Amino acid sequence: MSTSSLIRYSVMVQKELLELVRSFKLLWVPLVFVLLGVMQPVTMFYMPLLLEKAGNMPEGSVIDIPLPTGTEVLAQTLQQFGTLGILVLVLTAMSTVSGERNSGAASLILVKPVSPFAYIGSKWTSMLLLAWGALSAGYLAAWYYTELLIGEVPAKQVIGSLLIYGLWLSFVLTMTLLFSTLLKSPAAAAFSVLGASVTLSLISGIFPKQMGWSPGALSGYAYQFVVGESFASGRFWLAAISGLFLIILALTASAALLRRSPAAE
Amino acid sequence: MTALLQVKGLTKAFNSVKAVNGLDFAIEEGHCVALLGPNGAGKTTTIRMITGLLKPTAGQMRFHAAANIGDERAIIGYLPQSPAFYNWMTGLEYVVYAGRLCGLTSQMAGNRAMELLERVGLTGAAKRRIGTYSGGMKQRLGLAQALVHQPKLLVMDEPVSALDPVGRREVLELLRELKRETTVLFSTHVLHDAEDLCDDVIIIRNGQIALQGAISSIRSDHRRPIIELQLERDDRSEKWLAGYAERIRCSLSHSSEAGLIHEIQLGDGHARFTVKEVDEARQLLLEELAQARVKVRKLEAGYSSLEDLFMKVVAQ
Amino acid sequence: MNDQFDTSQLLAIIAPVLVIQLILVIIALVLCAKAEQTRGPKWMWVLIILFANIIGPIAFFIMGRRNDG
Repeated sequence: MSTSSLIRYSVMVQKELLELVRSFKLLWVPLVFVLLGVMQPVTMFYMPLLLEKAGNMPEGSVIDIPLPTGTEVLAQTLQQFGTLGILVLVLTAMSTVSGERNSGAASLILVKPVSPFAYIGSKWTSMLLLAWGALSAGYLAAWYYTELLIGEVPAKQVIGSLLIYGLWLSFVLTMTLLFSTLLKSPAAAAFSVLGASVTLSLISGIFPKQMGWSPGALSGYAYQFVVGESFASGRFWLAAISGLFLIILALTASAALLRRSPAAE
Repeated sequence: MTALLQVKGLTKAFNSVKAVNGLDFAIEEGHCVALLGPNGAGKTTTIRMITGLLKPTAGQMRFHAAANIGDERAIIGYLPQSPAFYNWMTGLEYVVYAGRLCGLTSQMAGNRAMELLERVGLTGAAKRRIGTYSGGMKQRLGLAQALVHQPKLLVMDEPVSALDPVGRREVLELLRELKRETTVLFSTHVLHDAEDLCDDVIIIRNGQIALQGAISSIRSDHRRPIIELQLERDDRSEKWLAGYAERIRCSLSHSSEAGLIHEIQLGDGHARFTVKEVDEARQLLLEELAQARVKVRKLEAGYSSLEDLFMKVVAQ
Repeated sequence: MNDQFDTSQLLAIIAPVLVIQLILVIIALVLCAKAEQTRGPKWMWVLIILFANIIGPIAFFIMGRRNDG
């Protein structure tokens, strides 16, 4: 890449970031993640009290719900991110390319001497910055509350699981970008990505031996890592590498699709 | 005179339908060229292929000035029919962004943007969000962003057809100035706009070139003497006209050698004769009219307009 | 452990959650007020934002506005 195309890429990234700021996405998406992250330890902490207040238990019955360990709470938090968090991220990203193509804004940009790869790359960069920012904010908030209310969790486990989970999120979002380039309808893109990622994680969960190498297994590895369970590290590295490989492949495919037809007909 | 853009055999097929079929034309540097044709003739498709937004199925385009640039998009400024921007940006931000994407430094882009916005009359709205702009303002902003890198060729798709009369006039005035500075190619279905602004015209129909050339030479080459006749609407006159037209049509289809009258078009109580030579034809017609005691309201001799030619070419 | 509960501690823990929810509701209301076009009537979105807990503002952010920006 020459310096001039690098400059153009960075100009486009700045534009994407400005859009995130102006649309308040840079504020509300991380706030939603923080909320999700904080709620898990708080709910777990107050669960016995809530049950006692709401329950129709006979007087004197002993409530014996073992308080989960800190690491378990963080794993549950990641599961929360995996449902509502991914839903929010995919839905905010579903029309990044198709929206601009449908309106015609993309054709006005792509007649300028910019490469489709820079265009896709700038969208990808801003998308991932948002996702990693939101994930880190939410997860660190969850960690803080967990240590405060429930128990200690070693930093190494938190950071390791954050990185693994972030890779999974990056994978899902890159697929969203690909489908947003492929399909005209944002809803169809979101639906395909959510469906595919749920299926992929389910299959990887059910057949860890056969499918442990797929990126769909990454979320599972993140849960295992945070609770300190040992897992097949060979398969994990395969999953990480296949995830990265598919991310690069999806980016290249999106750019090629865009090069072939820069604007929707 | 050098051709800025040379197009040969340009073809675009969507599935099996050829929207554009073998266009050959050249755009001379410094000229203003109109791509004229009815809706659905393939104008937009042609424009989009020139800008690189659509890959041609066949044919080639050669940009002479691009030889030392590499990327021909660097010398093209493009304004689509109804340009879409980012509604959350301000007009100024958008033009600066466009400039930076064309390789200007942020300072150069800033200066150029202010200059262009002033030129298109958007200085007052420069810091307003584009979402609040009217259609005419968006079109002018579209012009500003298309000109930001001082393109050698300004390409526009129906630049005024979506605008109200006021917006139309504003944009046409701007184009009148711009065509002095750069080569302009724009598509339109309105002959008047082409006649008003352009040096050359390319008339396309069903994806093929029906006629092309300098407007002045087309006008003189295809000028035909005509006689227009208008009659009172009484029975006698109408009957005569119907009979006379019949007679001429008969003789036109029978004799291979062209007579005095080449063609006749009948309207409501009037007729239009395309003739070989005005004086003789007029004499003949006057004699006929007098003999049949037809009540003439108006008889006018003149020449066919570009509009007639356009209608004829397009209707074929 | 159950004995340790008291209201002030509960408030201290819950407060940040409430504050974040409040911020989300406020941003959503401001954007809703400023939006030129919403998908469906504005008053409906105001009700959703105010009463549908966290989901309300999120739903508005994602699909409330017709024109992004």
